[in-house]
Amino acid sequence: MRWPIALALCGCLAAPALADDKKPARYEIPYRLTDTKHVLVRAKLNGKGPFNLILDTGAPAVFITKAVAKKAGADLDDKGWGTFDAFEVEGGLKVDKVKTRVEDLVQIEGMNSMGLAGVELHGVIGYNVLAKFRIEYDFTADKLAFLELKGFEPPSPEKIEAKGGDDIQTMGPLVKMLAALSGIKPNFEVVPRGFVGVEFDDGKGGVVVKKVLPGSPAEKAGFKTGDVIEAVKAATIETGADLAKALAKAGVGTKLKVTVKRGDKTEELTVELGKGL
Amino acid sequence: MNLSSTEMKKVKSKRRNASGRRVALLASVFTFAFLPFSFSAPAEDKTAEEKKKLDEKPVTVPFELLKSRHMAVMVKVNGKGPYKLIFDTGAPTNLVNNRLAKDAGVTKKGDKGGLMFGMGGAKTMDTLEIGGVKLEKVPVMVMDHPTVTAISNALGPIDGIVGFPFFAQYKTTVDYQKKELTFTPNGYVPGDVMQGLMNKMMGGSKGKPEPNVAAPAAVWGFAVDKAGKDEADGVEVKEVFAGSPAADAGLKAGDRLLTLDGRWTDTVADTFTAASLVKPGRAVAVVVKRGGKDVTLTVKPAKGL
Repeated sequence: MRWPIALALCGCLAAPALADDKKPARYEIPYRLTDTKHVLVRAKLNGKGPFNLILDTGAPAVFITKAVAKKAGADLDDKGWGTFDAFEVEGGLKVDKVKTRVEDLVQIEGMNSMGLAGVELHGVIGYNVLAKFRIEYDFTADKLAFLELKGFEPPSPEKIEAKGGDDIQTMGPLVKMLAALSGIKPNFEVVPRGFVGVEFDDGKGGVVVKKVLPGSPAEKAGFKTGDVIEAVKAATIETGADLAKALAKAGVGTKLKVTVKRGDKTEELTVELGKGL
Repeated sequence: MNLSSTEMKKVKSKRRNASGRRVALLASVFTFAFLPFSFSAPAEDKTAEEKKKLDEKPVTVPFELLKSRHMAVMVKVNGKGPYKLIFDTGAPTNLVNNRLAKDAGVTKKGDKGGLMFGMGGAKTMDTLEIGGVKLEKVPVMVMDHPTVTAISNALGPIDGIVGFPFFAQYKTTVDYQKKELTFTPNGYVPGDVMQGLMNKMMGGSKGKPEPNVAAPAAVWGFAVDKAGKDEADGVEVKEVFAGSPAADAGLKAGDRLLTLDGRWTDTVADTFTAASLVKPGRAVAVVVKRGGKDVTLTVKPAKGL
């Protein structure tokens, strides 16, 4: 993400102090890629949150929205900078006294107004925190590796003269208006998928029920070990992936007609999905 | 085709709707520039097989830490250059300005500049070289991004940005102390972001959107809940099904589930999101609070649902 240059120039970025540790610490940081292919991690600020933040070496500092700053109780100076005494990134990484820019950036607002990222964004983690670590990005793995750079103090951004860097911010209202006109509504609500309560094997013999958990919706519906799941509603099931797909949007309380083959017979079962995973 | 006037209206309104979405999307692209613009140039035109042929040795590339604290790398485009570009983990697209695009032949004579910021849209670089790393057919957006221009004016020529479509194809390490980037091919194929977003928008409907369903990738065998007024960390384990992977690992009803595979589980939805990322058969740490103490269990969820 590109940032207004003026912000990069605020020479007031004190490097945040790391929590006391003797050895260089290594952290496994869980992340997700947003629909816009941003690297998203979560952080709790002063114990509040978690908030969704993008890892962005293009940003000179941590940026968060005004609403988040208020929720987390940041002390703001009159120039819009705040400090978080406790900044904890999911995965166990704690950084003390993180200098943070509090601002509603058009990049974040624009994406949120249309829900483009597929998740609500609350800000970014930029240079002043990222530079403290040797970070390994590997999107074939499900965690990022952060290795503390012991004794390294990243140099603060220097004041430079630049004009025009803020142009992009003037686009904000236009994008919001267009988003409203287009009928695109953000949707950040996440609900759990309903629970069946079976373990299965899938191979050449199709999807075969291996275990029916006692007390589960599957047991109530009459599933038996050895049943071959052949169809869910109208969808033919041949693999575990087919089954996952058939239930991908099924929430708690959904009733599904499931066709199973039991020995030579075909049975129709109705399962009402429950709470659980 | 014979359509009634109501049907005609429906068609027209659908068209209007779709075009409105496209305009909004374009505007967002103009604005953010961090969204790629590849309607016609998908980023994933390399197959997995082709990937495997890549040399898997790590390549180290030095970067310059600019006064603005951006990372600058030297690159060659279509064999021309070198040009100085910013390396940016927050950029979902590669981007070059019109000067570079013209110089390296990314845009041809007669290509129109855009409406705003000299926006030329989605193009392809035949080759992109960074240090010892060379990629072919790399999607790039041509645009005179105002922030890049501003940095360039202050700190000397900077002609664009290297982002996700490049570094996602490697295990990429960023070390600000050594001022080094390390790239090791990892076989990851970056998807076409823009196409995905377009599909999402075209598929979207007016009115209340459907909620996103978080589907666990395996069966664990427990249920969680959280009362509306409960603001404490974690969620309550309500039920553990006998004989399930969770029961085998020693999870108990009444435990307070704090993390699952290192991910916070402060809401029911977060618990499901975390579980959606753990494939069957992978043993992961599950941390619960039990009797005032943190207890770490190892759960291996099974194929199931």
